Amino acid sequence: MPWKKILVPVKGTAVDPDVVRLAITIGKPSKAQITAIHVIEVRWNLALDAVLEDELDRGEELLANAAKVGEQAGGTLLTELLQAREAAAAIVDTARAQGTDLILLGMPYRTRLGKVYVGRTVQDVYVTAPCSVLAYRQEEPK
Amino acid sequence: MERPPEEDPPDTDGTPSLEERQRAAGRLPGDRYVRIVRPADFRRGRGGIYVATDKATEPETALGRLYDRARRILFGRPIVTEAEHEERLTKRTGLAILASDNISSSAYATEEAMRVLAIAGAGALALTMPIALAVVGVLAIVVLSESRVIRAYPQGGGSYAVAKENIGTLAGLIAAAALLIDYVLTVSVSTAAGVAAVSSFVPELHDDRVIWGILVIAILTVGNLRGIREAGVIFAAPTYLYMLALFGLIAFGLFRVLTGDMPTPAQPPQPFPAEGTELLGVLLILRAFSSGAVGLTGSEAIANGTPSFKKPEAKNAVTTLVLMGTVFATIFLGLTFLATRIGVVPDLHEAETLNSVLTRSLVGDGPYWAIVQIATAVILLLAANTGFTGFPRLASVLADDRFMPRQFSFRGERLAFSVGIVSLAALAGFILWSFEGSVTQLIPLYTIGVFLAFTLSQSGLVLRWWRLRPRGWQLSMVINVVGAAVTGVTLVVVATTKFLLGAWMVLLVLPLLVLMLYAIHRHYRSVADALTLESLDHPMPRLIPPHVIVPIARLDRAAVGALAFARSISPNVQAVHIATSEASARQFRERWARWTGKDATDGAREIPMHVIASSYRSLIQPLLSYIDDIDERDPRPVTIVLAEFVPHHWWELVLHSQTALRLRAALLFRPNTIVIDVPYHFKDAAGLDAHTKDRG
Repeated sequence: MPWKKILVPVKGTAVDPDVVRLAITIGKPSKAQITAIHVIEVRWNLALDAVLEDELDRGEELLANAAKVGEQAGGTLLTELLQAREAAAAIVDTARAQGTDLILLGMPYRTRLGKVYVGRTVQDVYVTAPCSVLAYRQEEPK
Repeated sequence: MERPPEEDPPDTDGTPSLEERQRAAGRLPGDRYVRIVRPADFRRGRGGIYVATDKATEPETALGRLYDRARRILFGRPIVTEAEHEERLTKRTGLAILASDNISSSAYATEEAMRVLAIAGAGALALTMPIALAVVGVLAIVVLSESRVIRAYPQGGGSYAVAKENIGTLAGLIAAAALLIDYVLTVSVSTAAGVAAVSSFVPELHDDRVIWGILVIAILTVGNLRGIREAGVIFAAPTYLYMLALFGLIAFGLFRVLTGDMPTPAQPPQPFPAEGTELLGVLLILRAFSSGAVGLTGSEAIANGTPSFKKPEAKNAVTTLVLMGTVFATIFLGLTFLATRIGVVPDLHEAETLNSVLTRSLVGDGPYWAIVQIATAVILLLAANTGFTGFPRLASVLADDRFMPRQFSFRGERLAFSVGIVSLAALAGFILWSFEGSVTQLIPLYTIGVFLAFTLSQSGLVLRWWRLRPRGWQLSMVINVVGAAVTGVTLVVVATTKFLLGAWMVLLVLPLLVLMLYAIHRHYRSVADALTLESLDHPMPRLIPPHVIVPIARLDRAAVGALAFARSISPNVQAVHIATSEASARQFRERWARWTGKDATDGAREIPMHVIASSYRSLIQPLLSYIDDIDERDPRPVTIVLAEFVPHHWWELVLHSQTALRLRAALLFRPNTIVIDVPYHFKDAAGLDAHTKDRG
């Protein structure tokens, strides 16, 4: 299926570079617009637009790294930096606002007592996304 | 005349921020989020700093983009500062880049010594081998001593740093000046020698040798501006080809000589006569030695360029230095041994090189001879690269110490010292042109600088070991005492024997250059004294609003814009108009009176206007005199606000008088004067019309 707009949330996990490279591979044939997005989750005791210097610095660094990986893979990435109470809602709302047709999620997971655990954000995006969602599953390094 | 009401200044909320925060509503009430819109040209870095992105450096005009593209094709893509370590030299590329000068001199060192001895007849040529052994002996001492310099000063700077720290600033500057001269001459001599080697194949090139030499310098300049790593890649292959070709030739020659298969010596077009024209004396032997000593140049470049090596820098630099000495000694001694054993003699008029004659004697004039000649020609051309590596780096060290203009320490987009590279190319090109590209004329100027620098650095190290006395200092001191003595004696021999042949020029330029370095330093020191804050508690002075003068050529939108700006920074604004005739002065006064008449805004009415009639139609000089007079009456710095019309296209500039530009140039060095430019862009006119209409 030729996707035209792909959204790639990045969070700083080991799976991020692989997801960006996969997005470039998927998006290249259809010249899709690929956007890497990072959401800073703001605690409820702070104002939503509070200036969180450390988180902003980290977010910019993650997005810059994603852009670099994208460039090395032969593509160009747009980047979006958001602040929200919950990352999943912001990702889904951005996807809706941009008309995204694919969200490509990195899905790092842990195995505990034989059960696989994935994060809350992944689950929420899966349930509420207005478009296709692909999850790139990879076990988190111990 | 009905005029539009005065515009209110737009609302501003302090200093504009680089980031914008847009609140956005989510699907559910609790899902609101903030979109942080960041500028495309900058990204937030750690610690609250902004980092300029690639986009910030992209040119905005089509012409700029075209220029940028051409520059990238020629010099390559810019390299980020963090990639500096990737631009460092390995031992392999270091040998090619920093040692090509030394190794390549093995191509002519034997011949240069033989040419002097041959004056005393063919019998004197027997002394070539002892002289070659003496040269190699000196080289061994130099290599040993320079390895001590590298270990003691791994941060580079070579002879300059050693002499400055241990003997004094003057000694350091003499060493630096000597080396700078020698690096320039390395480029000129090597280029001239390379072109001469090529023109041996293609005699048609001989007449245009200066142009070809300058072309070679241009190619080397571009190669070096592309960065040291790429320069290494470009220059490595010819250096290694030369080494392989010569090792092969010497091995084959030794095999033939030692197995009794002695080849018949080939003859050059016009060999030196067997009978000499001079008696063999000590002076002639010393001259032969100083000519052969050209092979000692180049080892300084390695000590100077130690920081260019990959880690461990000092260890890699020393290994490269030893490799360089070994390669040079092997080729030089091998060629000298074979030349004297076989009995080849140099050509009287330099029509064929001695190495070419020797190669023909050993392998005939077949493909191997061609390979040796081509490899020799190319390495001679590339030997100039040692100068391109040494000069910019030394200049940058001097610039860091404020002995050379600061621009020499700036790294270009490819992390190369661009200003040093371009300056070296210009100087070397000029010398090549001045000496008509002749190797014979240039050679006497060469090597004095390097021996002077060696002597000073060795002496400096002697003092260092004596002062610090680290473990094993006695051995290091003995090595450096011997090094200083040997290089000092060689310096005296070279300077004496080559003085009348042209060395006097170097000895004349050297002190002048030292004086220039001192003068530059004095300037920077006085500027620093004047600019330095005594402490960070230094308060920001409070200034009262300045007295502003707004020169007005005609009353138009550009002038009104400048007046409005002047009023925004001070209530004390004075307009002045220089009229070229009394009639035009009257006309201007009437127009001004109408503009500042009863309908005018308060701001405009409060601006006094002086109209000055210039009988000789001169604009700038009366205006400068007017500014002088005002300045005398007011202690505040005089502030000139210039209205400057900027046309849509650059080529339209010639259609305008550029009075503002001329005035700015005239005021550039005027003390107590602030000049502010208020540009008025041509495309603004349409916007202003629409704006005025809307308001009307």
